[in-house]
Amino acid sequence: MTLVPITYKGGIYRHDIIIDLIDDLGGYVVQKHVLAQEVVLQSLVPQEDVELIRRIGKPLGGEVTEAPLVGTEIAVVSPSLEIHHLPHTSCDMAEYLRQAGAKTNMIGLSRGFGKRIANLNIEERDVINEHDCAVYLLGNFETCIEYKMDALRRGITVPIILTGGPDTERLKAITDPPVEGYVGSIGRIGHRMKKQEGEIDHLDTLVEEVSAVLNRRREEIARDPLSVSPPHLRTVLDEKMHISADSTHPTPITVQIAGLRVKVPYETYASEIRALEVDEGVKLSDVAEVLPSRMRNYICLKIRPFSETNIIV
Amino acid sequence: MRALEYFEVECPEEAGAKAYKEIASDILLDLNLVRTIGRLHIYIDPEFPFFLAVGRLRSLPGLVRVRDFANVLGEKGKITLDISTETYLAQLLSILWDSFGRDRVEQPDRFTIEIREDVDTKEIEDLVVYDPSEGIHKDLIYALQWIAPEGFKVRRQSMKDGHFYYVASENTLPEDVISDLVDSRMRLVEAEA
Repeated sequence: MTLVPITYKGGIYRHDIIIDLIDDLGGYVVQKHVLAQEVVLQSLVPQEDVELIRRIGKPLGGEVTEAPLVGTEIAVVSPSLEIHHLPHTSCDMAEYLRQAGAKTNMIGLSRGFGKRIANLNIEERDVINEHDCAVYLLGNFETCIEYKMDALRRGITVPIILTGGPDTERLKAITDPPVEGYVGSIGRIGHRMKKQEGEIDHLDTLVEEVSAVLNRRREEIARDPLSVSPPHLRTVLDEKMHISADSTHPTPITVQIAGLRVKVPYETYASEIRALEVDEGVKLSDVAEVLPSRMRNYICLKIRPFSETNIIV
Repeated sequence: MRALEYFEVECPEEAGAKAYKEIASDILLDLNLVRTIGRLHIYIDPEFPFFLAVGRLRSLPGLVRVRDFANVLGEKGKITLDISTETYLAQLLSILWDSFGRDRVEQPDRFTIEIREDVDTKEIEDLVVYDPSEGIHKDLIYALQWIAPEGFKVRRQSMKDGHFYYVASENTLPEDVISDLVDSRMRLVEAEA
């Protein structure tokens, strides 16, 4: 069964029908958002049942769209959180990635600006490395990007998608060693991106590029499959520990490509999570590592591959 | 930007120059400075790196006096001000309170102020309420700091006789190089004036 990522957007009235339907079909609701009278469900559903969900959702005012980034957590890295970089570009790009289903975290570096003085500290490096990929939002000058990229990528182990003012070809030419993705012509600007040509078009390219990079990552993982799929582990964890019900976070359990971020304190809950029974006779600690996150005092779950555990849930 | 008489961004990287021209236009529009700045030349060298902006201000609108927005009627022991627009009312009240004391200045309604004092009406009419040149320096430097790439913390700025310059870099700025650069760019700004 191949699961495809979709976004269901519809009225709040009787939306539980759709949640039950997705559950019955063997899919997962990764994130549920209620906005006044509207509900947005980021879900992974069986490919052959997308039409069925669309048909059943129609009388409820529901719309089903493809959302290639559902089930991913992306770091949007900005050189700082000053007025020079925010809100334009950074927020526009983060928002566009969210529309495609991703959970984005904006990371404003403490000293990412300038040319010679740009650097990345250890905490920032570790926080970025907890994500599925990092989108770097750099400025308009080739000389600067070429110079500072070395410092900003030091120690980063997740795929990087580099964006900046020069066009994509120039970005490729000046980045050595190469990074995983490039989107040119979106550097620092002083207004909101509204025009289709030259602005929104580039954001579409960004979503395509990020999906392509993450698909390559998924393919790599598929060669040695995970012991349990992250959305499934999320469902089990939430059912047994009621994390979503007791939390005010927008995504109390964030699904990543090969893990989860659980937004409860590590010191209090780590041992309980480790001992949790995922399947008959399989404890969570058998299939995943439970680690403290560098982001607040959250918990990071890294799911181990089949080759290490010999277990498939 | 059409409102500026002269506006150029000079940079060895063409794409960078284009981007910064757009950024500068957006920021000056946002901060309502387009009518204040007449001519502006920006020079960015990403190699050194430094940012330089030189320009000239337009002649600013004159001082705002009481007679510009109020009718002053004098009676024996009392002066009545009939306000037509409220824009400068807060500043006017502060000035009147400071000069005559709160107990002598009354505001029976939004558009009327009464001063219980024997003063010449002419004196009140000529009272300066607002000076538009105040705060221009602060606003202009803030705009240029915002336009300049972030992290350029070595700065030098000046505003004199309607001319201004702002230089910023992350490296030390040699005095002679800067003054040569400022002079040559200032000549460009003045050339077509």
